Amino acid sequence: MDFILNPYYLQIVMFMAINAVLGISIYLTLSTGQLSLGNAGFMSIGAYVSALLTIKAGAPILVSVLCGGVAAGCMALLIGLPVIRLQGIYLAIATLGFGEVVRVIVLNLKITNGALGISGIPSMAVIFGKQLSEVGLSSGMGGLTLQQIANLLVLLVLIAVVAVLVFFCIRVHNSRVGRALAAIKADEKAAEVMGIDVTYYKILMFCLGAVVAAIAGGLAAHLTFYIGPKDFAYHRAVEILLFAVLGGSDVVWGPLLGAFLLTALPEVLRFAAEYREMIYGAILVVMMAFRPQGLLSTQTLRYIKEKLGRSRVNDTSTQPG
Amino acid sequence: MFWQQVVNGLTLGSTYALIALGYTLIFGVLGIVNMAHGEVFMFGAFVGLLLVTTFQLNIFVAILGAMIVGCLLGVILEQAALRPLRRRSVSHLAPLISTIGVSIFLESLALRIFGPQAQAFPASVAGQLLSIGPLKISSVQILILAVSFGLMLILRFWLQKTRIGKSLRATAENIETANLLGVNTNKIIVMTVALASGLGAVAGVLVGLAFNAVEPTMGVTMGFKGLAVLIMGGLGNVTGAMFGGIILGIAEVFSVAYGSSSYRDAVAFGIIIIILLWRPQGLFGAQKGGH
Amino acid sequence: MISFTQGRFVKMRWMAAVLLVLSMVVMAGCGGNSASTNKQSANTAKIGVPAYLSGAGAAYGEAIRQGLELAQSEINAKGKIKIELIFEDTKGQKNEAINAVNKLINKDNVVAIIGPTLSGEMFAAGPIASQAGVVIMGTSTTAEGITEVGDYVFRNALPESLAIPNTVKKATAKYNLKKVAVMYSNNNDWAVSGYKTFMQSLKQNGVEVLTVETFADKDTDFSAQLTKIASLNPDAVMVSSLYQEASLILKKARELGIKVPFVGNNGFNSPQLMKIAGAAAEGAIVSSPWYPGKDDAKVQAFIKAYQAKYNKAPDQFAAQSYDALYIMVNALEKAGSTTDRKKLRDNLAQIKGFQGVTGKFAFDEKRNPAMEATVLIVKNGQFTELK
Repeated sequence: MDFILNPYYLQIVMFMAINAVLGISIYLTLSTGQLSLGNAGFMSIGAYVSALLTIKAGAPILVSVLCGGVAAGCMALLIGLPVIRLQGIYLAIATLGFGEVVRVIVLNLKITNGALGISGIPSMAVIFGKQLSEVGLSSGMGGLTLQQIANLLVLLVLIAVVAVLVFFCIRVHNSRVGRALAAIKADEKAAEVMGIDVTYYKILMFCLGAVVAAIAGGLAAHLTFYIGPKDFAYHRAVEILLFAVLGGSDVVWGPLLGAFLLTALPEVLRFAAEYREMIYGAILVVMMAFRPQGLLSTQTLRYIKEKLGRSRVNDTSTQPG
Repeated sequence: MFWQQVVNGLTLGSTYALIALGYTLIFGVLGIVNMAHGEVFMFGAFVGLLLVTTFQLNIFVAILGAMIVGCLLGVILEQAALRPLRRRSVSHLAPLISTIGVSIFLESLALRIFGPQAQAFPASVAGQLLSIGPLKISSVQILILAVSFGLMLILRFWLQKTRIGKSLRATAENIETANLLGVNTNKIIVMTVALASGLGAVAGVLVGLAFNAVEPTMGVTMGFKGLAVLIMGGLGNVTGAMFGGIILGIAEVFSVAYGSSSYRDAVAFGIIIIILLWRPQGLFGAQKGGH
Repeated sequence: MISFTQGRFVKMRWMAAVLLVLSMVVMAGCGGNSASTNKQSANTAKIGVPAYLSGAGAAYGEAIRQGLELAQSEINAKGKIKIELIFEDTKGQKNEAINAVNKLINKDNVVAIIGPTLSGEMFAAGPIASQAGVVIMGTSTTAEGITEVGDYVFRNALPESLAIPNTVKKATAKYNLKKVAVMYSNNNDWAVSGYKTFMQSLKQNGVEVLTVETFADKDTDFSAQLTKIASLNPDAVMVSSLYQEASLILKKARELGIKVPFVGNNGFNSPQLMKIAGAAAEGAIVSSPWYPGKDDAKVQAFIKAYQAKYNKAPDQFAAQSYDALYIMVNALEKAGSTTDRKKLRDNLAQIKGFQGVTGKFAFDEKRNPAMEATVLIVKNGQFTELK
């Protein structure tokens, strides 16, 4: 408990949750085999829209975060219709270009305050703290201070968001839609012949990915006090992709694991401060050499299940892979 | 002012083209976007700089030295980050990530070795400024223009006419078939990566000379532009890389000259998106589209 | 047979991945241990320094680190209070800065923080330190509104909102400026803030702005912008950017035949400007509290010591961080404790009449520095006072 109450670790766990949401966003777009690097751009749309709504219009956080998601979804639909017919690396670069365009526009708009960014965004912890003290908990509860309770509440909210998204992904994965997506990922042409509306599903997943990325952006904006265009530049786009590639993009647990590891890694490597980046790079190379499909794949999940299954007495469903 | 801006655009564009050529070569043969190319480029610039300043060597010797180091880096890159992935059937994302790993590694290594500061070539090698009528152009910039056009022609000839070039194209077409036909594809692939990296290193020295600044993060900024050009011109197309680079250079310069400089990067990428929508395979790409 | 070997392969690879993860976890454990076994004596003050130590702006972090380490060795040699500095790399990124500050406060239990390097980082990390009740003092955060993010946020960097009007006024009077061109780096928060101040003070001085051109940090090609500016024939060019871009701009401008004075913001204020731009830097104007040519024993001793230790001339980042540590120690001595964060804050806010290498120093009521700036011009490769 001490561990999780330390604001340092708490903050890292919160960043993990945000990154997990981002990982899920890239997982959604990747589920039709599309490599999009535009999720950083959608994230910035979500972050800016929701931050501006809370500051300028005084909207509650929940509303503003959802509005951010909707805004990014509309944007994704708008650019998705023409862009979606591009494939592979072309799509990747076009979406990366979209991210750059968003960044440049944000740099030039007055309302986004250009490179100076938006500071003084009300953070979730502060708002929860206020609400708690209104209901008479200003001196804390159960040995915890008010701030600690507020922080834990924020963490709970974030975990809830991740849980809902994971649940949603698993449901989709096991549904008719999920099988259609898998078919598109495996072979687009064959899927089309089988009567699957490929364009519809591709755009659907592209937009869903954008919405989820924007929600991550909105949450992130209300976690820290400041957002600026630098937070959503090229390095962020690559980072989001890394979550999926390191963790594995076949199953939703993959990007989740990737997000956890890649958020923890820089902190773990802090003691090697100057060599941190070097180690980071080397790990990526080694990782790809040994497990290019990412840490988790369908096989590994089955393998783990098998192991677990064997320890149980009644389970006979193991089958050779 | 118009013609001076054209000159500015051409020189900027030719540096983009020079970098894009390296990307293109590797993509053409391996079907991989080598994200570490920008860092090889930066390392080449530093090696050239060191040879000129610390070892007091002639600039042409320095360029040669940078090229050799670049080739070596290419071989290491191939062994460490590409070969292990080639032996298995992996998703096309894996090499992308693994070369991103190499690029992060090289950038922070350069930061450790060379320090974060921008360094410049001594004024004696940086070349003079030539005035042609009202136009001003530096001799290095003419050199860059000449080298990139020259390289493009040589590469085209080499790929089309020579034996190695033919095996290279065969490898690009289909690795397994080339193998069956007796082409040592592993050797060809190592050679391609080494060649592209050597070219990248030379480009690094030239760009370092032209803009008079060599620093560890130059690989990212220039590499990004090279990547854009790669897409614009059509993946794996040498002529496309050349003209794509020049178009991007001129577009950027003109967006500053006659538009608003604050939208420069958006204009450049806007053009890329438009080109891709109009011709999904890039300007000079094969008709098929996509990869 | 085949499937068997394949299975083993898969297993081996999987094991390798598990090993990798395990080794990371072990490393994490080691990291934790080494930090917790740190012991400190009663008169040792732990000060955290989140700085931009790797990445594009590492040059600034490096100068800050060197200035601090020089001051640290001098202070520790005197022996009254011992300083332990804990450096954390922020890579110039907001989230990294937040993590670094959180770690310093909650894991290392520092008494105060000097840093982070960028204004944008401070906007994100300042509120966190303030909430935790830990003094956080920027040595290079010059943007508008920095200290408004929290009561524990200080800075000893001269805000651009004071420095630039000073420069513009003097330059306008001296060169009788009527029409100027303005350039700034538009993806750098601090440079944008400087640009806004430039526009304001130009307006106040009745100078016409012919054109505003932007570029981005780390750009190397400025020919398009400068060709445009050359065709407009301005009396001077105002530039708001870091020194690297500034020197390349100067170089290109002189090549293109723009001979007018260049008035800069704080970014011009570095010996690197002359080193990179060479003769092209002649006529560059900037105002700065740090002036290496100052006839002051303290300044000259600092330059000498710095030169001896790092074999290069100190710039303002080094000078300001050097002063920052002395200011901090000053407050620590007054507070009489090396661990009491609240006392340190109150004593720090009271600092007045401190004499550092960047001149006479005091905090105003908003925890901004009250100090004087000298307007400097580059002549014969040296900063000299513009009179």
